[in-house]
Amino acid sequence: MAKKMKIKAKEKDGVVKVKAMFTSLMADKEEAEKKNIKPEFITYIVGKSNGKVVFEASTSGFMAENPLLKFSFTGAKKGDELEFVLTDNHGKTQTGKKKIK
Amino acid sequence: MERRNFLSMGVVAAAAILVPVTDLNAVNFRETKPKAWEAEKSADAIKALFGDAALTPTDKIKMVAPKLAENGGSIPISLKSDLDIETLAFFQDANPRSATVVFTVPEGQKVNYSFRIKMRQTAFVTVVAKTKDGKLHTLNKEIDVSIGGCGG
Repeated sequence: MAKKMKIKAKEKDGVVKVKAMFTSLMADKEEAEKKNIKPEFITYIVGKSNGKVVFEASTSGFMAENPLLKFSFTGAKKGDELEFVLTDNHGKTQTGKKKIK
Repeated sequence: MERRNFLSMGVVAAAAILVPVTDLNAVNFRETKPKAWEAEKSADAIKALFGDAALTPTDKIKMVAPKLAENGGSIPISLKSDLDIETLAFFQDANPRSATVVFTVPEGQKVNYSFRIKMRQTAFVTVVAKTKDGKLHTLNKEIDVSIGGCGG
């Protein structure tokens, strides 16, 4: 999880549409063995805006590589900040911030 | 002495009951329900995650998924619903372990999620949603995979 995450967030009529792409191999045990790499996958994703949790997911290695998530939420305005925190299977965390357009 | 022990036990028990309630909005299911992530079959994973409650088939959740997926390494799935859902879980039977993703829907938000999954072979995918009133709703669909993903 070295690379940055890509986040796009757009507000329209009170609904914020979010597209987010995270960089991860999403390799579970079996796949990692075949490719001779260490297992690496995101286990937990949390999205916050204005101190409130707006998105939360626990994931396994069976999400596709470089997981792309789309979702929408209410309760944020233009200019507010959206923050993502990822946790991977080694316990490392990564954060990414983006202003809502 | 015995009475003191008994009392302290009561405090601990109360704390144990209280913690999940106050922490409702931040549940890392990988930590709280590790068993569910090791289960092979969807049915076992659902049991580990949601308990033994009855599952009701529903048409209130809309799942968009391809009937035939050419590339098993990246299958787009989208879920949409107007129900008051608390927890939404996604399972498939194609891979060594069944649980794929569990969403915790924050208070007041509606379900509208898109994501991509990997599948090794043709199999059923199952969605289980727990609504605020504690009922479990489910729906499933078969996805044909012509080239298996997941390194296979």
